[in-house]
Amino acid sequence: MSGLGYTAPAALAVFAVCALEFGILRTGLFRRPAYWISMVIVIGFQILVDGWLTKLTAPIVIYDDRQTIGVRFPFDIPLEDFLFGFALVTAVLLLWERRRHRPEVSEQ
Amino acid sequence: MDRWQYLIVLGACLFITAPLELLGSGVYRQPGRVAAAIWPVAAVYLIWDAIAVAAHVWSFNPRYILGALAPGDLPVEEVLFFVVIPLCALLTYSAVDSMLSVLRRRFAEVKRQ
Repeated sequence: MSGLGYTAPAALAVFAVCALEFGILRTGLFRRPAYWISMVIVIGFQILVDGWLTKLTAPIVIYDDRQTIGVRFPFDIPLEDFLFGFALVTAVLLLWERRRHRPEVSEQ
Repeated sequence: MDRWQYLIVLGACLFITAPLELLGSGVYRQPGRVAAAIWPVAAVYLIWDAIAVAAHVWSFNPRYILGALAPGDLPVEEVLFFVVIPLCALLTYSAVDSMLSVLRRRFAEVKRQ
């Protein structure tokens, strides 16, 4: 495999998650302030945890730099990891929302 | 001790987020809903992960993992990652959501007075 073997699927994952929401599930997750506040918190902690996993001085996960665009910030985190994490967390929250019990019918 | 690093990181994530369970309707108290939210996503990510490892897109440093491998040549820690991180995200979202609901109710009460 040559080049962008991480970048391409990571971008595809973000696209797929958005397509899942807007095309199929329509949970309204992206309109909920709780989602965006949570994502800010999640990304904050991702930087700590992912930074520990990917730091080049003692990496737990080792990336082939030919498979990424090469941007590693902060703490040597590949930019692609943020797409990977965004899609992972958002997909789980979408499936969680789908099962929301709605005692009060919320604004659609 | 170094070989426990990845597992310890995951344990720390669960430990730090555990108190969030007490806010709102919880996550661990809804095991069926948790399973339904996590397993399909984890399955897709594990397939992606196994392909990436087979294609040498990324690999795991043997210094920091216990060495037990799951199907797809993935370290067991990596498999647990796809359960632990979603749990942390659900706990965060559930806690934020319930805190916002409380705030909204308070504001509504203040307005009515």
